Amino acid sequence: MSQPQAIYAPFKAGLPPMKSYLRSLWHRRAFISEFARSELREQNYGSVFGQLWLVLNPLLLSGVYFLLIYVIGGTSDATRFGHLTATLFLFYLIANSLTGGVKAITSGQRLILNTSFPRIMLPLSAVVVAIFRFLPTLAVALAIHAILGLPYSWQMLWAIPILAIAILMGLGMAILISCINVYFRDISSMLPYLTRSLLYLSPILYEAQKISSTIKQYEIVNPIFYLLDSWSRVIVHAEAPSGKGILHALIYALVIFIVGTYFFLSRERDFAVRL
Amino acid sequence: MISLSDFNHDHSRGSIAVSVQDLGLTYTTSIDKKPTLKARLKSLGRGKKHTRTVQALNGVSLDVHYGTVLGIIGSNGAGKSSLMRVISGIVPPTQGRVEVYGSVSTLLALGVGFNPSMTGRENVYLGGLAAGMSRAEIDEKFEAIAAFSELGESIDAPMRTYSSGMYARLAFSVAAVVEPDILIVDEALSTGDAKFKEKSLNRMKELRTADRALILVSHALATIEDLCNEVIWLNKGQLMARGKPADVIAEYQKFMNVGKSASSDEDV
Repeated sequence: MSQPQAIYAPFKAGLPPMKSYLRSLWHRRAFISEFARSELREQNYGSVFGQLWLVLNPLLLSGVYFLLIYVIGGTSDATRFGHLTATLFLFYLIANSLTGGVKAITSGQRLILNTSFPRIMLPLSAVVVAIFRFLPTLAVALAIHAILGLPYSWQMLWAIPILAIAILMGLGMAILISCINVYFRDISSMLPYLTRSLLYLSPILYEAQKISSTIKQYEIVNPIFYLLDSWSRVIVHAEAPSGKGILHALIYALVIFIVGTYFFLSRERDFAVRL
Repeated sequence: MISLSDFNHDHSRGSIAVSVQDLGLTYTTSIDKKPTLKARLKSLGRGKKHTRTVQALNGVSLDVHYGTVLGIIGSNGAGKSSLMRVISGIVPPTQGRVEVYGSVSTLLALGVGFNPSMTGRENVYLGGLAAGMSRAEIDEKFEAIAAFSELGESIDAPMRTYSSGMYARLAFSVAAVVEPDILIVDEALSTGDAKFKEKSLNRMKELRTADRALILVSHALATIEDLCNEVIWLNKGQLMARGKPADVIAEYQKFMNVGKSASSDEDV
């Protein structure tokens, strides 16, 4: 008798056979992009501007902060405005990964209960949506950069690895939180407060060097503090990021991604009975 | 995890497709007797949960061979869908083992992966990709899917605008073009009008080949008798009988105390 192509035995926490899992994931890569595209379409379905909202959202957001800094604040601090918009847009890449990821599994109930596929595709799709939403904001940030007359240099190419770290971080967070939400649904209600706290604890509304050293020493526990600081240095100031900053962000991104993926993969066969 | 890319047709009639050994599945569901804030606050921190254990499958053993169309019958809650989900690898068993010798495609519900905001055309791709097909395979089969669904120009309208019959027709059409080694179908034939039901039944008959195994769950006993060459009857998670369709169905009907007439006009 030939060897079985699949064996299903009682669930034990542990990694599935990784070779066939990754092969199946690769085979279904087109579904991830198609699913993400349909999710995006759904979000703007029926609105007059439709997909134009992807560009309108960052424009309006930067408009609000223009009002805050230039009109109400009465200053004409171009660097501050550039810093605020650029870091806020990268922050939203992470925050959107989290908000999309948290319900990726629980809202994919119909798919999960009726089809066998690598479940990690669902939080992956949520991150692809977050990336689709981020890309137009990057164009807006670069336009603001040009309008404000902020500096340019080759050091700005550091933006590419920093963005890669940010995507890895978003992916890890989305995978982890989607899995946590299966067992602890309250996390989705807590998430808005978590992301809001993260917003204020990160160098977005202020620059990293402006805070006191006492507070700054605690920022080591904030996974995105040095990521956003590095992004600001590179994109706004056209300077090289600090080695420490890049290392901090990379270590956090890797740890969150590895822990999140291990937790997810070892539990995913149990999801169908938990939904 | 297996996918349709592993699809191959080198299975000979009579070779084993699925082997189910002493299968058991137990669910634990938590229930709040009084789902009020007061009850929740009282139970907080005590670690005491009201739980109910459901034995969905108990000691089920069976082999399915290539060339077989296996029908599964039983009343609501008998464990039919649970058995399908375990064989498909969707739910892990709590006891026993399932061995699958081939690529599996499941048709447990219609329109899985569909998004109502997208057009019929886009959903053909979305549903096909969700079922494990590649974009190239869908490109190749798109015309056949569109023709089978008989939607005409509506294929380019958003699915929100579809009637439930149109929705079901497109969903079945996408599923019907998938050609795996082992096809598992759960009550998916009861769709559309009488003409479309007949068409989908004929499609199922076309899929009956010597190198494929079909597993079909249905309450429509007439369909089961027509399509299958072997039937099992499940009751409260246990295998009650297995054998020729007419014999098992007669036994089931006797048990359920329903006459033959009840099944003759059931949905296909």
